[in-house]
Amino acid sequence: MSQDKFTAVVAKDLEDLIPVFMSNRKKEVGILRSALEAGDFEQLRQLGHRMKGVGNSYGFAPVSDLGKSLEDAAKTSDKAATDAIIAEYADYLERVQIVYE
Amino acid sequence: MSERPSQFRVLIVDDDPDMGAYLSLLLKKEGMLAEEAVDGESALVRIHSNPPDLVLCDVMMPGMSGFEVCQRLKEDESTALIPVVLITALEDQPSRVKGIEAGADDFLSKPVKREELLARVRTLRRLHETRKELEQRRLQVEIQRKETIRKAFSRYISPRLAERIIDDAQSAGGEPQFMLRPQRSNLVAMFADLRGCTRLTERLEVDRVVEMLNQFFTIRTEAAYHHEATIFNMAGDSLLVAFNVPFPQKDAARRAYLCATEMITRFSPVAEQWARDHGLGTGVGIGACTGEAIIGNVGSPHYMNYTIIGNPVNTAARLMQMARANELLVCEDTYAEIKDLVPKELVESRGDVTLKGKSAPMPVYSLKIVLPGAG
Repeated sequence: MSQDKFTAVVAKDLEDLIPVFMSNRKKEVGILRSALEAGDFEQLRQLGHRMKGVGNSYGFAPVSDLGKSLEDAAKTSDKAATDAIIAEYADYLERVQIVYE
Repeated sequence: MSERPSQFRVLIVDDDPDMGAYLSLLLKKEGMLAEEAVDGESALVRIHSNPPDLVLCDVMMPGMSGFEVCQRLKEDESTALIPVVLITALEDQPSRVKGIEAGADDFLSKPVKREELLARVRTLRRLHETRKELEQRRLQVEIQRKETIRKAFSRYISPRLAERIIDDAQSAGGEPQFMLRPQRSNLVAMFADLRGCTRLTERLEVDRVVEMLNQFFTIRTEAAYHHEATIFNMAGDSLLVAFNVPFPQKDAARRAYLCATEMITRFSPVAEQWARDHGLGTGVGIGACTGEAIIGNVGSPHYMNYTIIGNPVNTAARLMQMARANELLVCEDTYAEIKDLVPKELVESRGDVTLKGKSAPMPVYSLKIVLPGAG
């Protein structure tokens, strides 16, 4: 099951968009970390909302799930939870395998 | 993919470039032209400079929200008809209500499912195309109607004048003021014919006579068009025109006088040439009369003429017959309208004349036309 979590099934016609998409996600981790350091929970909430919208559209369900968790954690300014979510997000991006169908 | 002007153009407004790229790709695969804007402000600028056929707009954006973009578009008459689809979060019911209030045409939920996106966009494209087609058809009908009127009248008035009357009426938001149905109307009838015509037809070859008559008719027709007369009849060498019909002309008598002057002065060098070539004395004789006449299509189902019938027409014909070469004879009503225009020394009262076919005598005025070069 955990194998499946790190496998993203992406529509074949989106293949050309994936390199930019992945690069933006990795940049996003950096931005999330800076926002957390600055205690900017409004920005964290906005970024979480964005992850939620874009993840599923591309076929990366965990990005949407993490986005939703992040949005919720940021709303309550939960620093510890936000930190854990960012770590999980970074880990996911490192390990994810993409399969085009 | 080539950029055809008819291609359906969608503007995607989303602050997330990945979302923009995703939507753009799906629409392009559908044969549409997709453009992207990353915020509301730049989207509005682009929409105004080059209106798309559809706007696909994210709701949650920093700066101007999707609601505001939608509302601004719907408030502006020039952009109100562009359909707007708002992209909201699935669970966000209050956003939908707010979107409806802002005038959104449809909604999409994030994550955007491609089938749903395409189904909604296709529906809006169909609506858009239907609307365009209806507009096209309406324009076509309008053009045909205009063409019918133009064809009906271009035999009698200059094509340029027909065009102007139709355009003036349209810009005033009404119908052209042509008298399409038979009616009684005040008008100035004017007959012009060729003095010395009998000798010309007797003495010259047929082809030459026709050529000369054509030249004579061309001059009078051009003068008639120049002063915006309506041509009602050509018979033998005579031409019947009228003013103030089938559209109003406040200065009808003045136009008739100027038109007669132009006919005579333009024909004069031609008459001189004919005199040199053939030894023939010719000139234009003109009669004009103001009064009420019936205007309309008269005839049988086999042959019809748009014509004028009544006293001023008969009187103008008699006056023309009486007129000498290069003379304009007018009735009292016509003269009253133009006497300020004509130098006194060129006017001669003929007294009361009993015209052929008339029981009572009527005052007749002779207006001499000064030819260029004449003392």
